[in-house]
Amino acid sequence: MEHRFQLPDLGEDAPDKAEVSFWYVQEGEEVEEGQDLVEMITDKAAFTVPSPLKGAVKQILIQEGDIARVGQTMAVIEA
Amino acid sequence: MSDTVRRFPAWLKKRLPAREQMAPVLDALRDLHLCTVCQEARCPNIGECFARGTATFMILGRICTRHCTFCAVRGGRPEPVEAREPQRVAEAAERLALKHVVVTSVTRDDLPDGGSEQFARTIRAVHERCGASVEVLTPDFEGRAEDVDQVASAGPEVFNHNVETVPRLYREVRPQADYERSLALLRRVAERGIVAKSGLMLGLGEREEEVRGVLADLRAAGCRAVTMGQYLRPSTRHHPVVEFVPPGRFEQLRLEALGLGFEAVASAPFVRSSYMAGQLAREMLAVTPE
Repeated sequence: MEHRFQLPDLGEDAPDKAEVSFWYVQEGEEVEEGQDLVEMITDKAAFTVPSPLKGAVKQILIQEGDIARVGQTMAVIEA
Repeated sequence: MSDTVRRFPAWLKKRLPAREQMAPVLDALRDLHLCTVCQEARCPNIGECFARGTATFMILGRICTRHCTFCAVRGGRPEPVEAREPQRVAEAAERLALKHVVVTSVTRDDLPDGGSEQFARTIRAVHERCGASVEVLTPDFEGRAEDVDQVASAGPEVFNHNVETVPRLYREVRPQADYERSLALLRRVAERGIVAKSGLMLGLGEREEEVRGVLADLRAAGCRAVTMGQYLRPSTRHHPVVEFVPPGRFEQLRLEALGLGFEAVASAPFVRSSYMAGQLAREMLAVTPE
């Protein structure tokens, strides 16, 4: 089953976008639930975002240096 | 997003919990139409705190009447005071089973009482509904003693008012505030026997001896708890980060503050005035005389 990994929404007025600093994984790699997936940067800090599930990273849609908006699919993980 | 944000030092990195862990707090805030300073100020600890089931409620609307250059909260025309807001905060505290509730507000210089009555009503509502201890983080009420007294009379367990920075930087960081006025507020709170707490941000261009001076002033005013954390710029329109203060210097200042007689000190890069507030309060309330 495909899971669309999205930048989480932290509520109204929380940061609505973040920059992809780097991916800890590459397309085709296996990830465990809770494993570091991507590092994001907001104006205030850098955040490591863990994988919400175990699976294989099928596709990375937002590349390093690009901006992701809340709710936008950043990667597809095949569970 | 600016180029400067790429230069965060290694110690300014957080781990975002899974959304499911934050869901209870996010759902309660949405259901009860409450806002938090965690979201409004774009706090970097938001994921960690929400996943732990805590939040700092922000009452009296989302619009601030002041224009501090460090703060992400919006300015503009303030919203009407909501009569049921204290009950909604109390309901959220009960729903999230909070033992220590932190309540702050935007500054409301447009209101004759600065919002002090709403603070007092919120403290009472939480006490009555779930018995949690309450920590308020208030504005300076433009120095009006009767408003400070109104909040204090409601019996918060901790009364926090941040001096935010050293007096030399007030003009550029807190242009509508007054350092001595803030100290007077804290002195008044302490004289009433309530735990007085304050905090300041580092990295705005202050000198270390100036920080030591502020710590001494806070102790002289009767403050028993203090927080120190790294200033982080909400956007490129805000005051620049002059320095990323290394963790070792925060630790050194923590020890110095304890040496000055503070009973509870939180000093580290990601410390904010309400970060781990419950733990800090427990440290102090445990030694509060009967």
